[in-house]
Parts: sequence; C-alpha cells; structure tokens
Amino acid sequence: MNDGTTADGEHRLRISFVGSGSEYFRIWIVNLLLTLVTLGLYYPFAKVRRLRYFHRATEVGGHPLSFHADPWKMLRGYLLVVVLFAAYGVAGQFSAVAGLVAFCIIAALWPALWHSSLRFRLANTGWRGLRLHFTGSRGGAYVALAPGFALVLVASTALLPAGDAEPGTPAQELGPGFWLVALLPLLMALATPALLWLMRRYQQGHLALGAEETRFEVGMGRFYGLGLRVLGLTMLAAFVAGLLAALLAFGSGMGGNAGGAGGAGEPPSLANLLFMLVPVLVVFVVFQAAIGPYFISRLQNLVWNGTRSAHLRFESALRFRALAALTLRNWLLIVITLGLYFPFAAVATARLRLQAVALVSTLHPDALFSQVERMSESAAGDAAADIAGIDLGL
Amino acid sequence: MNAPAPAPPRAEPRADGPQALYFDGRSARAHAVQLGLRDGCLLAWRVNPAAPLDDPFDPAFDPTTVRRWPLAQVQWPERTRHGQRTLHLADGATLQVSDSAAFDAWRAQHGPRESWVVRAQQQWRSTLVALVLLLVVGAVGYRWGVPLAASGLVALVPAAADEAVGAQALESVQGRWLKPTQLPAQRQQDLRAAFAQMVAQAWPAGGAAGQAPGYTLRFHAATPELGPNAFALPGGDIVITDELVALLEGHDDTLLGVMAHELGHVQLRHGMHALAQFTLLSTATSIALGDFSSVLAVLPAWLAQMGYSRDAEREADAVAVRLLQASGRSPAAMVVLFERLGQRGGADEAAADRGPPMAFASHPADAERVRFFRDAAVGLR
Repeated sequence: MNDGTTADGEHRLRISFVGSGSEYFRIWIVNLLLTLVTLGLYYPFAKVRRLRYFHRATEVGGHPLSFHADPWKMLRGYLLVVVLFAAYGVAGQFSAVAGLVAFCIIAALWPALWHSSLRFRLANTGWRGLRLHFTGSRGGAYVALAPGFALVLVASTALLPAGDAEPGTPAQELGPGFWLVALLPLLMALATPALLWLMRRYQQGHLALGAEETRFEVGMGRFYGLGLRVLGLTMLAAFVAGLLAALLAFGSGMGGNAGGAGGAGEPPSLANLLFMLVPVLVVFVVFQAAIGPYFISRLQNLVWNGTRSAHLRFESALRFRALAALTLRNWLLIVITLGLYFPFAAVATARLRLQAVALVSTLHPDALFSQVERMSESAAGDAAADIAGIDLGL
Repeated sequence: MNAPAPAPPRAEPRADGPQALYFDGRSARAHAVQLGLRDGCLLAWRVNPAAPLDDPFDPAFDPTTVRRWPLAQVQWPERTRHGQRTLHLADGATLQVSDSAAFDAWRAQHGPRESWVVRAQQQWRSTLVALVLLLVVGAVGYRWGVPLAASGLVALVPAAADEAVGAQALESVQGRWLKPTQLPAQRQQDLRAAFAQMVAQAWPAGGAAGQAPGYTLRFHAATPELGPNAFALPGGDIVITDELVALLEGHDDTLLGVMAHELGHVQLRHGMHALAQFTLLSTATSIALGDFSSVLAVLPAWLAQMGYSRDAEREADAVAVRLLQASGRSPAAMVVLFERLGQRGGADEAAADRGPPMAFASHPADAERVRFFRDAAVGLR
C-alpha cells in the first residue's frame, strides 16, 4: 500500500485517482445518448454511473471508495427538484411578485433539501466496507443558509418598487430604497466570505466515519483574507483589461481615421468591433484560467487542512499554478474539440484535485481500523436519507 | 503470528476465484479471503492467515468459516479498465478485489452476464456508434424535436401568460431603451388607421384566415444604441421607434410592411417559442456539459437559438408578404428598409428589426431577405 509514516509518528494515507479520460469518455457518450433519447429520464441512472466511476477510481490508502445510491430513488428526488425549479422559472416570467413568492418558497425548502442531499451523498459513500455519514442537523442547515437568503430577499424587495414605478417618469426623488439598492452590491461583497464560511463550516464539520466525526477549525477571518486576495487580483485584472481596451481603442481609432475616407458618420467596421471584443475575451480567460483556479485551489487547501476528527485529519496541497495550467488546457481543448474533450478534462481535474489531498491518522492504520465501527444510531437516519433520494450535487 | 493454523474449508469449494479483502460492513477491519462460486452461491473463505493482512490478529474471524451468499444477493461491479473491483452483498458486507484482471477473467467464465450498457461502455466500436447516434439525435432534436416540443409547450400556455410575459419585458425595455414618442398625434393616428385597415384586409370577417391576432401599436423614441428599430413582444405589443418612422419617411408601405412582419411574430407567438426553445436547448446542453462549466454549456444553446431565430424571421417575412399583397401593396416595398439601413450603417447595423443590436446573428442575411421580397413581388413566391 502507498501508506507512509511521517516523522512525527503520524500515518499518511495517500489519495490516488486511477480513472482514465478515455474510459470516462466512453461512459459519458453512451450515457449521454441514453439520457437524450429518454428525454432526460435516464439522467439519474447516468449520474449514478458517473459517480460510481469516480468513487471507485478514488483510492484512499489503497482502498477505493464506493457509491451505493439507488438510481430509482434518485429519479424521484430529481423530478422533485426539476418541478421546483420549473415552477420558480415560470413564476419569474409572469411577474416580479410571483417570482419573489416562488423564491421565498424555495428559500424555505432549500436548506432542508441541502441537508438531505448531504446526508444522502455521504450515506451512499462507502470506504473499507463502511458507509460515511453526515451528522449535521436540519436546523444547522437553516442557520448556515438563512443569512444569505435574507440578504437576497432584502435585495429583491428593495428592487421591487423600482419596477412598479410609472414607466417613463424618471425617479427624481431618491428614497431610502435607492440607497439600499446602491449599497447592496457592497453589502453583498462584504457578506460573501461570511456566507461561504457558514456553508463550509456546516458541510465540513459534520463528516463522519464510525465514531470519527470531523470538526471545522478554520476561522471566518481566513475566508475574509482569501476574499480580499481574490478581490485584489480581480481589480488588477480589470485594470489591465481596461488599459488594454484603451490602447486598442486608441490604435484602432488611428487606423480608422487613416483608412476611412468615407466620413465621420461611419460606424465601426467588423474588424474594429472584434478589436473591442478582445479585452472582454481577455477578462473572461483571466477569470477562467487564473482567478477561478486561484480561488478554487486556495479554498480547497484552506477548507480541507482545517477539517479534522479525533484521530484523522486532511492535508491538502493543491498548487495554483498546476490547476491554472490544467484549466487553461482543458478550456482550449474543449473548445477545439467542440465539447468532446469534456470527459478527459473532468478526469484530469479530479485527478489533480484529489491527489493533492492525503488523509493523516495519528494512530497506526491497523489500530485505527480495528476500532472504527459503524454507529448503530446513525443507520436509521441514513435509511431515512435514502428515502428522500435527493442529490443536489453540491 | 498467533493466528490458528488453517483448517480445510468445510464445503470443499473449488479454489477458482481471485483473492479478495472481506469487510463485514460493521467495522473497517479487512480480512483476506479467497473467492469461489458453487451451487449458485458466492463463497469466501480465509485460506492463508499467515499472509500479510491489515489485521492478522482478528479473533472474531473464524478461519474455518466459509461465508456464502446466494447469487441473487450479490451486486457485481461494472467492469472498468482501471481500479479495483468491489462486490456489494445484501447483508452489507463488501468484497474488494485488487487483481482486477483475474477477477474479470473469472467473472467472464463463471459470473453473470454484464448489462449491454456496460459492454457498450467498454468498446470503442460501440462508443463510436453511440457518438454517431448522438449526433443524429442532436440533429433530429434540433431540426424537429425542439421546435415540436416548444410548439407543444406553447400550445399548453394560455394567452394570458403571453400578456404577462410581454408586459414584464416591455417594462424592462422601457426603462433602458425607450423614451416617450415625439411623433405628432395625427401621424400616429394615420399610421394606426392604415395598419388597422391592412390587418382587416388580410383577415376579412368570416374569411378562411380566421381572426386577426390582437395587437397594440406603440410608438417610442429610442436611445441611440437602439436607433431605428421595431420589435414585437409576447401578448401583442408592437414597438416602432420614432427613428424608424423617420428613416422610412415617404415610404409608408415599407413601414406598414415592417409592422406586418412584427404582427407575424405576434400571430405565430415567436416570443413564447423562443423562450420554450431556449429552455429546452439549455437543459439539454447543461446535461452534457454543465458539470464542467455553465458558461460553456449555454454557448451551444445560444447558437442553436440564433438558428431558430433566423427561421422565425423568415416566417414573419412571409406574413409581411401576405399582408402587403392582401392590401394591394407590393412586397418590393420592403427592399427600401434594407437600402435605408444599409445607407445608415455598415453591415453590422443591418439587424434593425428586433431586440438589442448585439444579436446580429439573429436575422438572416440582408441579401437573402431582399431577394425574398423581390421574388415575392414578381410572384415567384
């Protein structure tokens, strides 16, 4: 086995990913065809097959994970979620008030759905013959999500009167609603790290294998630190893109004057239009290939390095540069192959992200595994989670 | 090693399977076992306690015990090229085989047949067939499936929904693109009357064409980005910008043709069709690619939607031709629109018919549309 003992007497269980892109490509094509032919009804079956493949290919300390969910139960949960979102989408098309009501209903249900989804996913994940389980309570899910929903609700109600105003009459008087709307983006930006922290604390703090139950030991401040760095990078990218846009506009303006004898009223040519698109494209690529991977890698390391139980902890050392290079490569190849590279990209990303993580035990694995046993009281709860069959894929 | 010496298994099964690790499902302890098949049962027994195991000192595991499960209680793993094989048993236990090649060979000989999906997944030939079928399904779905499903969906939606959707769209457009009209009241009234007469001629009372679709003509001044433009919203609102009226000054037949084109969108409920089509398309593409990137998943849906949009424009042009002819006007009047738009701006600005100007692929090429109206005028269509 590829277990190792560290200098301070800890034992490291490496995570390796043995899936292959070409194999997942075949699974993906066959299941995508079945999903489309059945008008989406096969989707849960395809999803179970995909999750089974990725679980089985993930080996922790030489032992693969397993995925046990019954696709028929997932079909029920999937239909429920589809109906819920269809209702939300339709309501939003009719009127803002109906959309708001639908949003409130979803907001009221969502934490409960999230909770059952987490329980379902973990209760159906096995390792060394044992099922994992999620010990978070339903109430905890509401605590974790309520502040975010409250903020969005305040935002939408503040925006509502603006929509009701007589069309055509400019809003001359700025009511308190206006200032609320103006401050909302700032408020949202300020709240995002805290909201993310609440969610991650709930998710990472309740993972359990037998009596080993994790706690989340990362303070909210670290999330704000990460948020600030991401914000700084974003502003830097925006500044560079702005500079680029100005340079290009200047350059193309010169060219237009030199060649365009037609007159002042001439609209921008297609080439000039493409020039103007370049900065937009640059910002997009920078976001996808640099800021996204930066955030993902730092967040993964932050979150998993702070997740530990009595005898186990995680070590995550995902490198930003490796993830950025891979992401750029994936994007390029997916676009060039018109999407056919997607399964290779999914496997390569899973490999990079999973193999950056190790499970570290303070006990010798033999001693640990002889004492890790299924908790009897959790079995009933897991069965209940099984009934709901909701998997939101979060 | 203080484990008891190996005793011969009681049931004397053939040692025909690979080695496996046995987990009882209650503890994380692993036990090395040998697998066998006999009399419709899967068997596992411990053969060599001296072999290095995760836990060689397990007192609970009786080496003489042969565990057996009827095959109906065994969930066999799907074959893959990489990775280990895990068998799940009805009593919650698992058997994990690391020598996958040996397991696959053994299973092929003695185990149950694999499902056709699994076999298809393992072969490049069937994958290629699936890929070709996928392209065929995609093409058929794009050409017939999505438009048909969208028509079905739109037929189910009551007309009141069109009005609600249109009202909300109008509200958001008015805030951003439109200002109160500067057209003299008399001019507005003349245009309304002329168009009403045109509609009445195309749908004569008691005629075979049935009833004219309900519509509301709205004149608005536009922001510079919108410029000379006309668009129809679900529910029957037709917006004509002052800039378009000015552009077509002296060519009222052309202006009426544009209105007729927009009425075609209203009659055929193109707005609701577009909504339904885009929802269906983006659902399909996000099933395929959504796990990777939602941006990438929407892109093909958007491109496909542009194709449908061009089809819708052609249908609306046909309605315009019908209305022009029914009122005794020549479809060639529409050519003026493209000439004027061409004079006003370059090729990029030609899409002066509907929506924000960015959607420049939403309409067929000008040359094609000019040819269509010219042909209609000389009776070729």
